[in-house]
Amino acid sequence: MRTRPLRLAALVAANVLGVAAFAWPFLLSEARGGNAHSWDAPLVTGALLVLLAALLFVELGRGGMGPKSVALIGVLGAAMVALRLPGFVAGFSAMFIVVLVAGNAFGPGFGFVLGAVGTFASGMFVGGLGPWLPFQMVAVGWVGMGAGLLPRRTGWPLRIGALALYGFAAGYLFGALINLYFWPFTVTSGPLGYAPGSGAGLNLAHYAHFYLVTSAGWDTFRAAGNIVLVLVLGRPLLGALDRAATRMNFQVTQAPPGAHNRVASRPGGRGARLRKELARRGKSGLRRAGRWGKSQAG
Amino acid sequence: MSDAVLFEGVTFTYPGAPAPVLAGVELELAAGSFVLVAGPTGAGKSTLVRAVNGLVPHFSGGTMSGRVSVHGRSTTEQPPRRLADLVAFVPQDPGAAFVLDRVEDELAYVMENLGVPGAVMRRRVEETLDLVGIEHLRDRSVTTLSGGERQRVAVAAALTAGPRVLVLDEPTSQLDPQGAEDVLAALQRLVHDLGMTVILAEHRLERVLGFVDVALACPGDGRVVAGSPRRAMDVLGSGPPVTRLGRRLAWDPLPLTVRDARRRAADLSLVPPAAGPPAAGEVVLEARRLRASYGERTVLSGVDFTLAAGEIVALMGRNGAGKTTLLRCLAGLHAPASGTVSGRVGPPVAGRDVALCPQTPESVLFRDTVGGEIDATLGAHLGGQGRDGVLADFGLTGLAARHPRDLSAGQRLLVATAAIAATGAGVLLLDEPTRGLDLEAKERLCAVLELKAGRGEAAVFATHDVELVAELATRVVILAGGEVIAAGGPGEVLGDSPVFAPQMARVFGPGWLTPEQVATALGVEARA
Amino acid sequence: MHPGAWFVWALAAGAVAVGTTNPFYLVLLWAVSWTVYALCRRDNAGGDAWRIFVVFGLIALATRTALVFFGPVDAGSVVAAALEGLRLATLLVVFGTFNAVTDPFAVLRLAPRRWHEPALAAALALSIAPRMISAAGQVREAQRLRGIKVRKLAALPAVVVPVLATGMEEAVTLAESMDSRGHGRGTRTRYRPQPFAARSFAVTLGAFAAAGAFVALGVAGSGDATYQPWPLVWPGASAWMVLAVAALALPAAVPSGPREGGGAG
Repeated sequence: MRTRPLRLAALVAANVLGVAAFAWPFLLSEARGGNAHSWDAPLVTGALLVLLAALLFVELGRGGMGPKSVALIGVLGAAMVALRLPGFVAGFSAMFIVVLVAGNAFGPGFGFVLGAVGTFASGMFVGGLGPWLPFQMVAVGWVGMGAGLLPRRTGWPLRIGALALYGFAAGYLFGALINLYFWPFTVTSGPLGYAPGSGAGLNLAHYAHFYLVTSAGWDTFRAAGNIVLVLVLGRPLLGALDRAATRMNFQVTQAPPGAHNRVASRPGGRGARLRKELARRGKSGLRRAGRWGKSQAG
Repeated sequence: MSDAVLFEGVTFTYPGAPAPVLAGVELELAAGSFVLVAGPTGAGKSTLVRAVNGLVPHFSGGTMSGRVSVHGRSTTEQPPRRLADLVAFVPQDPGAAFVLDRVEDELAYVMENLGVPGAVMRRRVEETLDLVGIEHLRDRSVTTLSGGERQRVAVAAALTAGPRVLVLDEPTSQLDPQGAEDVLAALQRLVHDLGMTVILAEHRLERVLGFVDVALACPGDGRVVAGSPRRAMDVLGSGPPVTRLGRRLAWDPLPLTVRDARRRAADLSLVPPAAGPPAAGEVVLEARRLRASYGERTVLSGVDFTLAAGEIVALMGRNGAGKTTLLRCLAGLHAPASGTVSGRVGPPVAGRDVALCPQTPESVLFRDTVGGEIDATLGAHLGGQGRDGVLADFGLTGLAARHPRDLSAGQRLLVATAAIAATGAGVLLLDEPTRGLDLEAKERLCAVLELKAGRGEAAVFATHDVELVAELATRVVILAGGEVIAAGGPGEVLGDSPVFAPQMARVFGPGWLTPEQVATALGVEARA
Repeated sequence: MHPGAWFVWALAAGAVAVGTTNPFYLVLLWAVSWTVYALCRRDNAGGDAWRIFVVFGLIALATRTALVFFGPVDAGSVVAAALEGLRLATLLVVFGTFNAVTDPFAVLRLAPRRWHEPALAAALALSIAPRMISAAGQVREAQRLRGIKVRKLAALPAVVVPVLATGMEEAVTLAESMDSRGHGRGTRTRYRPQPFAARSFAVTLGAFAAAGAFVALGVAGSGDATYQPWPLVWPGASAWMVLAVAALALPAAVPSGPREGGGAG
């Protein structure tokens, strides 16, 4: 069995590769590219998709999610699919509320997987499969992961406030990340375009300019929508998810014969144990206390 | 032959519960039995059947002692997935339990998990489709199935692994009579032809007593009493109407089926009861020549319907006959293609004049407390009768501070109905309110409706539950193909119908509805 | 046809689209995509989605063209920007066709063993979503009957919370059902894997060959694959490269087998 640090290192490495897949126009901008070849585009896109696939493979393919996680992600992913359809105003999408809230309730690992899988499913549902999908999956996954890193054991005002602010920022960051997948190929000239060989600073400036012109207004709807939805729905939804977490996570105690009620059985901490279980992936939540009642030879 | 299922000193307590739900249970069930688990809600039916495949304790948490084993394998030590080749489990609501979209794939899912080779899977899927009689459904999406079809597909999906024990949690509670009959017949075939052990928890006793050969009674004190179905009815003190009548009249042996009762009642002669006078209250809701359609499909064609104050009208008919659409038209939710709906003054306004409980009313619950749920409605209807009054009417006063989703199914339904009825509307429409409810919850709902009718309010409920209609309705309307084919007092409409007749009418002839009515009549005759 | 073959077809057509700014090839690829869409789409779904892809493509084209006005403008730069927009639009249309011809559940069944669980979760999401949408409609109506003003933002919890809370309860049922049916035991086999028949094989090979030929010829510099509109004259086009693009219409030409047709996968 792999140890936790090793697994963590693999995760970090995979996410760094994922960042590289988005940020390559800045990271490689020192390289002397000469003229942009139109053949660069399919090759680089292919390479990036491989990087993202590696990240998704590490994150999603760790195996042993277990039926509880699969069922939870199925239901919450369905909520993302359902919420992607209505209220499609500019960059606003109601599906982010699910990722934000569930990521916060169940932790960063669950948040990433839900974001990625839910985005994939909603992409399929609306017929949106394409080379952009891995970029979207990873970006939404990161939104969920970030929501899981926010405080959740604090009082409601802080928990909701932090989530709302984060949702606002994530609305823009998501848009800025997503545009990167086509910007280097589609805008290859002018003060808004990708300029190979001109340095990271200039390219960042170009990209920032491009983003402000084309997407910032669009993304404002998403950022504002996230804030509003978290403020209106955050608390009741987190309440419902915390309740579900408590129902799904439990502990079995095996009482010795004749001492049935000796062992108390309810662990405290809403959701804490399920989160642990989701993090451990695949280990059953069954924990035995005390001795088995009868000899196994029955 | 060894025992199929063995409970040895099993005691189980749910997390946080004050007392064990199963206490020192000892059971031996022989292979090839058809077993009914009966008892009131919360008495451990569900716990008992779930312990057979290990969902209790592995999916419930709690404290457990003793040992449950199936064909020698312990279910307390192994999680359900390790027993999937031996015990199959079908939950109460299979619609939520389907994993794959296509029926055929759903059947193969368990075998894929067990690593069964492809050729074997192919053969077993075909055999199971035929065995359960669902070959025609193989390419359908599970979301398009009717209730009875869903239940049979769920059974088939459990069977392909070749289990020796099949466990079902209330398999017929959500079904109409025909769907229930199909499912039970399929289960009986498994017992008779394959020698499988089938264990089902059920509260619709009148449906299943004729099929099973062993019954386990859970009276509610942690005990489980195994024996004949008759013994279980003795222990529980409940049962279908013929059994209740037999108990009242001290018949021995206690009748379980209409056939038993008919044999015993052959020497009794009863004068057919006179029909009660028709209700003469003020008309509160009236529909004239109502036609309604969904797109191309005509659902109602020329329905006349009248509801008077103080009436409780039952709406019956097979699925698709137009019951739900009629209710929606009466509530003003569906615009009729032609015809009119009028209330006391002008067309009724939903939420003010008419309240409609949809098929799953508990899906409106969104607050943290029962009281808050009533307030959410009253906040919008300040003219209502007040939170405490509503809670008292529905017998929920003691539950005001509880979380609605912590309550039993029956209590939840009452809370939701109360929240919907709290608008103060004088007409309450209910769409299949008793699906999945036990006797106690049904009685509570009856009491609420009778209380409201006594106050001059009125109610209409759509249902398949003949015995409930016999108990509760003042008038019955039967729909078929979008038309009213019969209407009148329950005695005259239900009495001679081969499908809708209640058990008392089947034993004593048209006009007889409830055991209480028959007992009273017999008591009067005896004295005369 | 096997969804894997469609996947290869879409990748090949996508590579051609991304690899050229020559309007002749791009417009031809639109025509090819439309033909394949018209002749191979599944009966039940996808039609509207395809049109949405076309609309998005046109928006992308317009936006990209408008961006040119942030720099020094000349006729060549306008054309170059429009062609880059057209390239993105073509990519969208190619994948619009891919979405219209494949069955999502069949695509999910292709997931490698390691991704079995996430793919299963995605399939569950797809089949639960329609149920959830209709449940939301019913809840909304029922809450309206309680006098809750469902159009108001503050009433959003009244609709969303019951749907999610019911969903969470169903998730428990689902998890129990999966565990009871052996989910997570380790060894898995696959029921009726989709056959990769001659037709799928032909389309895969054809798509590979067409895209390979197009890219090879383009890299070799023939046929003006990379079109620079300075001076602004019509680009040339190579007959072989036109043929390669046209060959991507192969799926529309091969007859569908008896077992492979339809959306059942």
